[in-house]
This record gives sequence, C-alpha cells and structure tokens, in this order.
Amino acid sequence: MKIFKFIVSKIFLRKTILGIGMILLLCMANYITFTAARSILSTFQGYQETKYINQEGVYIANLDPDSHMDMNIIGENGSQAVYDYLNNNFNYAFYTDGFIVSVPNIDDMEISLGYMNEEYYKLNQFELSQGTDLDFDYQFGEEIPVLIGKGLSKTYPVGSTIKIEESVLGRSITLKVQGVLKQNVYHANYYALNSKTYYNFSILFPVNEAFINHANIDLQLNGLMDVIILQTSKEEIADLSEVIKDNLGLTFNFFSQKENYDYFNEYYLHTLKIISITTFILLIVITCLSIWNVLVSVRLMLKDFTINLLVGLSYSKLKKIFYGYFGILSFINLTVIFIVTAFNRYGCWLRKDATFATYGLFGLIGMDWLALLLVVASDIIIGVIVVESMLWKTKKIPISLGVLQ
Amino acid sequence: MKKSLFRPTDMLELSIAYIFCFFLNLLFDYVKTLDLDSYLLKAFLKNFIEYQSLIVLLFTFIVIIFHYQMLHRKNAEIFCRILVGDTVFNITIWYILDCLTILVFVYLLSALANVYLNFNLATNFYLVLIFITYILISARQVRKYENF
Repeated sequence: MKIFKFIVSKIFLRKTILGIGMILLLCMANYITFTAARSILSTFQGYQETKYINQEGVYIANLDPDSHMDMNIIGENGSQAVYDYLNNNFNYAFYTDGFIVSVPNIDDMEISLGYMNEEYYKLNQFELSQGTDLDFDYQFGEEIPVLIGKGLSKTYPVGSTIKIEESVLGRSITLKVQGVLKQNVYHANYYALNSKTYYNFSILFPVNEAFINHANIDLQLNGLMDVIILQTSKEEIADLSEVIKDNLGLTFNFFSQKENYDYFNEYYLHTLKIISITTFILLIVITCLSIWNVLVSVRLMLKDFTINLLVGLSYSKLKKIFYGYFGILSFINLTVIFIVTAFNRYGCWLRKDATFATYGLFGLIGMDWLALLLVVASDIIIGVIVVESMLWKTKKIPISLGVLQ
Repeated sequence: MKKSLFRPTDMLELSIAYIFCFFLNLLFDYVKTLDLDSYLLKAFLKNFIEYQSLIVLLFTFIVIIFHYQMLHRKNAEIFCRILVGDTVFNITIWYILDCLTILVFVYLLSALANVYLNFNLATNFYLVLIFITYILISARQVRKYENF
C-alpha cells in the first residue's frame, strides 16, 4: 500500500495531464457503453412486455399513416357502432392512456389516467404491492375501483377514495383504491419499444362495456388506435376494417403475429445490430487512443519506474500498482456516470414529469444498474489491455537504459 | 526540418490527432444529415449529437497530451540547441510554425471533405481556433526547458 501511494503520488500525479487524458478517454468509453447498453436493455424489456400479444390469432390495430382523421365527420354514433360490432363479434383488449388530471398528492405531480378492459388486464398481469385485483363488474354510477401507482399510495392508501372533477364520462366521478401497483411498473410503446411510460403516478381504470358506451369520443377513438383483437382470423379482421371504414371513415391496419415478428426482426434487430457494431468500433478506437496515452505515459515516466525497479520493485508489484491506478481512474468515471444518471432520474421529479418519475436504489432503476454493470465489464477489458500494454512497454526497455535517461 | 523539433513520427502523430478530431466533427455533421427512419437509432444517436461540441472538445485533449509529451521528450534537445547558439525565441517560433503547418494541412483536408459532402465550411473552424490556442499555450512551455 505504501509503495502504491508513493508511486501514484510521486509519479502518476506529477504528470496530471496524462491521468486526466486517461480519465476523459475512459469517460467516453463508459458513456458509449452505458448509452448503448440502456438502449438495448430498454428495447429488450419492451419486447418482453409485448410478447403476450405476439400470439397466434392476435391482431393489433394501427391507424394507417395515410388515413386522414377529420373530427368533423367522426361522430359518437359512428364510434359507438364500431364498439357495438366489437362487443358482439370479438374478444378484444382495450387500453388507452395519456389523460392528465390534477389530483392532490404529496409529490405535487400531475396524474396520468389509463383505461383498460378485463382482457387487457388479464394479458398484462399487473403486479401489485398492496390490495387486490381489479373488479370489472362494478355498477356504473357508483364508486369505480381503481389501481394506483406507488407514488400515490402515500396520499391514497388502499380503501381510500379519490374524487375527479373532470373525466372522460363528462362528469365528476369517485374512485376507490382497490390496489397499489409495484414500483416502476411500466408500459412500452408498441411502435417504439425503448420508450416507456411508468405508472408510479398513474390511476388505472377498469373499463367495461357500460363505461365505454358512456365515455366521450376521445376515449373511444384513442382506445381504437391500439386495440388488440384476440382469437380471430384474417377474414373477420377484414370485416372489422370495413365496419371502421364505413362508420368512422378511417383506414386501420391490423398486424398479425407473423407481421409483428417480421417487423421486429427487420426493424429492431437490424437497428440493435447497428448500435452494437457502432459501439464496438468506437470502443476499439478509444482503446487504441488509451494505449497510445499509456505508452506516452510510460515514455515520460520511464526514469521513475526504472529507478524503482532498480531498488527492488518487482514487475509483479508494478503490475498490481498499474491495475490499482487504473482501478482508481475507472472508479472516478463510474462515480461520474452514476451521479449524472441519478441526477437525470431526479430531474423527472423536479420537472414533475409523472410518466418518467421512477423509484430505485439511490435513484437508479434496475436497467441503469445493469447498464452500469456492463460498463464495469467494459472497463475491466479495457483495463487489462491498457495495463498489459504499459507493462509490455516498461519491460521492453532495459532497466540500465531507463536509469541512464 | 533541421531547425525543427519535429521528427517525421512526431508530425505523423500530431497529424493523426488533428485528423481524428476533425473527422469526429465531420462524422457528427454527417450523422445529422441522415434521414433515419428508425426511432430507436435516432434516440440512440441523439444522446451523442446533443453533446457534439462537448464530445469533440473532450477528444481534443489528445492534442494537449501530444504537445505535453512532445515538449517533455524534447527538453534535452531544446537545452542542447540553446547551448550551441540557438535562442528560445527561435525554437518557439519554429515550433509554432511546424504545428500551424500541420494544422493548416489537416484543416484543408477536412475543408475538402466538407466541400465534397456539401457541408458548411465554418462547421469545423472552431476546432482550428481551439488548436491554435493549444499551440500558443504549449509554445509558452518551451522556455521552461531553457535550463535543463
């Protein structure tokens, strides 16, 4: 330890610029690895979530990008007719969110409302930390049982009621907290799997036929945009498309399991490959620059190293010192990345951004910790390459020559 | 070359350092022009494009390292030159001129690349100013080795 302190303070720290250079290069390598790892992990999480809809006989609706939506033509009767047709002929999973309301809570966050029917609830299997599962057979006009996110559970424990003045039903409604979701439960966007909405400050409504029938056209139309039709066939889907076209004047595409897999393979796998290859190339470039930097360091510090080697310092001890020094530099970088990530996460709380506010150990969620672990792994690999290069360069020059310098 | 502190390997090293920084800046500009239809790739690249100036600036540190180690290595040579009649002023001027020649050469190369890709020539000019600042700061260090 004494010799380590001596060499670090008397040799490495005397040439601070080289140390700073190494820290900056490592910082770049860590940032690239961390960003790539999070992108890949986030996409993988989104893909895992959507796996339940990639089944035989399941079709997902999507408004055709070329279909123009004219709200003057679309009426409540048209959308009601579509839902009547859906209720009579199909089993479907309904989900829509993004309705923001103000509900008093200790964190002063705006609350996002999500609406889902029983089929969607069964497909997703939401994990609860408190309370019981949602009841979809409630009497319309009475208190509506809801699930809330962890962030609201302090203000509204299980069994308490929440009054919402403005709702999709066009009147004030009273909600009863039936259960609390586990922290950081999320919903991935089907068409951008790496993009997520966290439910920590959300209220999830159980939606039944009566609810949809009494809801305003916004909820009905939004619900149709991502509606998932279960246990059906291509012919039945074609009929549904016709009904939607006749009643709403909109063209909807319905994607099957095979089309979803093809889309994933073509779009996501291809993109993930590009991200991985780019990251790999950048890491190689940065490793080369790091090797150049340490070779320069050895060239300038050779005199000090060789004098220490002459008075009894062994190469194995020198190797340990190099690893220790590189470990300190890596630790500094990891700390910086940790602080920046934690601050970014905390930024969502400061901005009162309810859909991205998350809970986690020191502010970091599981995905961040996993990405940090990958950064540590990449640092170890770079560290081994860099330290061995340093040692190789030191060994290459005879001690006598080094001392003469 | 006789009066220069630079050897061909030093010139090559500095040229590579400059080319790397200019190329990195050019790469960012090129990525910005790509019409990507992949949301995921766009989101990934946004993490870097947003901090383009900062990332390029951090990478210019390799040029600082070059100047630092170059002058450290040449301390004996500087001292010997002064011993045989050269002056610190002359050595400094030669050092600045050599660095500027390499910089101008690399900048012209990058400007050609910019013209070829139809990019604005001013997009990487800020790097020239940064590198000139580094050259001037490092040139002041030459006099440090007046006394060996």
